[in-house]
Amino acid sequence: MRHEGSILQALDLPVNLNDRRAPLWLGWVGLIVIEATLFAALITSFFYLRASSPEWPLGGIQRPDLLLPTAGTVLLLASSIPAYWADHRGRKGDLRSLLIGLIAGLIIIAVFLGLKIYEYSHTGYSWSTNAYGSVVFFIMGFHLSHVIALVLKTIVVLAAAARGHFNQRRTVGIQTNGMYWHFVVIIWLPLYFTLYLSHYIF
Amino acid sequence: MNDPSYEERLQKVWQIPRGLASITAVNHRVIGVRYIVTAFIFFILAGVLALMMVLQLSGDNNNLMTHETYNQFFTMHGTTMMFLFAVPVVEGIAIYLVPLMLGSRDLVFPRLNTFGYFVFLLGGIVVWGSLFLGSAPDAGWFNYVPLAGPDYSPGINIDIYTTAISFMEIAALVAAVELVITIFKVRAPGMSLSRMPLFVWAVLVMSFMIIFAFPPLVLTSIFLAADRMIGSHFFNVAMGGNPLLWQHLFWWFGHPEVYIIAVPAFGMVSTIIPTFSRRPIVGYLIVAVSMVIIGVLSFGLWVHHMFSADASILGMSLFAAASMAIALPSGAQVFAWIGTIWDSERVEWRTPMLWATGSIVLFTIGGLTGPMLAAIPWNWQVHDTHFVTAHFHYVLVGGAVFPIIGGLYYWFPKITGRMMNEKLGKWSFWLSFTGFNIAFFTLHYTGLLGMPRRLHTYLADQGFDLPMQIMLAGALILAAGLAVTLWNVIASLRRGAAAGDNPWNAPTLEWSTSSPPPAYNFLYIPVVDSSNPLWDAGSHDDESTRGYQTGTDHRETLGTTALDAVPEQRLAVARPSIWPLALAASVGTVFMGSLIDLVFVPIGAVMSFIALVGWNWPGKQRRKGL
Repeated sequence: MRHEGSILQALDLPVNLNDRRAPLWLGWVGLIVIEATLFAALITSFFYLRASSPEWPLGGIQRPDLLLPTAGTVLLLASSIPAYWADHRGRKGDLRSLLIGLIAGLIIIAVFLGLKIYEYSHTGYSWSTNAYGSVVFFIMGFHLSHVIALVLKTIVVLAAAARGHFNQRRTVGIQTNGMYWHFVVIIWLPLYFTLYLSHYIF
Repeated sequence: MNDPSYEERLQKVWQIPRGLASITAVNHRVIGVRYIVTAFIFFILAGVLALMMVLQLSGDNNNLMTHETYNQFFTMHGTTMMFLFAVPVVEGIAIYLVPLMLGSRDLVFPRLNTFGYFVFLLGGIVVWGSLFLGSAPDAGWFNYVPLAGPDYSPGINIDIYTTAISFMEIAALVAAVELVITIFKVRAPGMSLSRMPLFVWAVLVMSFMIIFAFPPLVLTSIFLAADRMIGSHFFNVAMGGNPLLWQHLFWWFGHPEVYIIAVPAFGMVSTIIPTFSRRPIVGYLIVAVSMVIIGVLSFGLWVHHMFSADASILGMSLFAAASMAIALPSGAQVFAWIGTIWDSERVEWRTPMLWATGSIVLFTIGGLTGPMLAAIPWNWQVHDTHFVTAHFHYVLVGGAVFPIIGGLYYWFPKITGRMMNEKLGKWSFWLSFTGFNIAFFTLHYTGLLGMPRRLHTYLADQGFDLPMQIMLAGALILAAGLAVTLWNVIASLRRGAAAGDNPWNAPTLEWSTSSPPPAYNFLYIPVVDSSNPLWDAGSHDDESTRGYQTGTDHRETLGTTALDAVPEQRLAVARPSIWPLALAASVGTVFMGSLIDLVFVPIGAVMSFIALVGWNWPGKQRRKGL
């Protein structure tokens, strides 16, 4: 590759590759690792408090019903499908499918949000009831804030897409949006296990 | 050809904004210098607090200050040294040096970097503002509950701690992510991981540690803020909470923190010693692997801060074993340094070398008391005494501050283009080294006698007067030594001898460009084929290869593959922008506003959203550029 006494040209290399080698893509991985660590610390806190309590939930609170949360979990998982499809088609420059997929995903997420808000306004306890309430509301609140961030972020991506910002050569923004979407969905599974299933399993 | 030359075009596109517009500057060297200067200002402030505390302790029943003031002073001393000096200064040095050492034009996310600096600055101003208003945090730098909880600390003091700390850690986290990606994506062609400078290895390890260590700190600070502000019960025993949760989450962060500070300092020692020993480091691979092992092991030590809290003996024994085990990779590095000096044919005892070698001595002494403290019965005996204070000052001042000052002498010529005064530098070193040992070796003694740390006074017949006066004498000598360096910096800025590109005849890439480097760092992206490129260059027949020419339509640098550093793309790098400042102010509104009224939290969140969209919205120029 070396040339005697010469200057090598980088100009024939592509500008900003459009895949996992893009720094932007790696940057989102970094953010996701940080947030996953945050959720790991939250889950640790939940089980630490549980281990040091004589009863769990505390103060006569009933263990949560599984029906609504499980339905919500299925919905959230389902939202990844149109998001994946939008990402897949959008990468090939199919703007229409991109818009349809993301909007469909957003609608499913909106139903999930509605379910969660309904569920947590009918718990009969709050973060200030006792330590159980505190940690449950914090886990829920942290995740909900991620869901809301995802919704806002997707709306921005939609707006940029509608203005024709993305094309076949430049889709990292779409890919990272998809990646973050799947993260918000997948991280919910350990949280679902912690908040709901763990009461029934051990 | 009437076109402007390649060099002129590079200069134009990488131009650093001047005057008022410099607030939009994103070039890594500008931000790096801002980080370093700001961090050193906090270092001086925290040092003054330390001197006043020693003065207070220099006689029995002294009443120079009340115990309330003393509490604020030792809390601010620790908090500032940890969060406002040590972490930001090593990050600042990394931000300045890493692209130069890698042969890159900038970091991959310059705006993120700028955002981090403003967050750090804003948080620091709020914390120090609170001290001048007399309501600074006062529950120690690790801020244990229940003392720091709403019942025992009703004032605003602890709220400042919880909000400012969780806010400022954002700065550390963004810097960590961008340093990792920079190190993986923009190394000079040919610089495979096994040829990377050891300082860059150290920064890589530090950044990974930050990514896994800081989130729990942010989280637990938010827990405590919520307990204090909106009535949650994470740490309230009466409502099922557990104060030990704070200790676990805090030390999950807090122990790695020690190595987050120490590992980059080790990296500086590993850079300085080979340069002045005039040979490559002994055991490059061992040193690099040791740093990685330290990074991993440091996450398995945290309970040794809690031996006197409630834990099972089996569990504690595991943590004790891990705490002793980390002495092994640390020791391996020390032997590599000693071996490098030993095997040198001609050691040049210049000022940076003195600081680096002095650091080995002090760090080894501090390292020896480490396994002592890791032994559980010993730990119970000296817990919370001056002995512990002595131990971690030897580790942190010896292991981190000395190398950082050595690094300052070493890289000052690169940053400013001028040499620092050698004679003053040596005076500064010997005064600091002597003063430090007098001051802190004495603390081992008072600690063994049973003097608890964080007590603002003692009684007349307890026998602490003389040792504490010796401590005062040592502290004054140390302060004088550091003041000489401060004077040296100021004087050398104006009158220092011109440095030239490579005054130390050092082997790494930052010395291949001018001092100070141009805004674009390198005219051509260098190509390397060894870990000491400037030493080995003469031995190749193709030395006349000048490197890669990059585009000049917009800011760009050469992107290479993560492992072997083969060129794969040109990376567009951000231009100057006001959005980082806007976002820092918006996020600051969330955290700092919460001190005034919780209504600022949603307001700040909306502002942050707007700033984020503004930052990322694809502009016309950018679209054309890509």
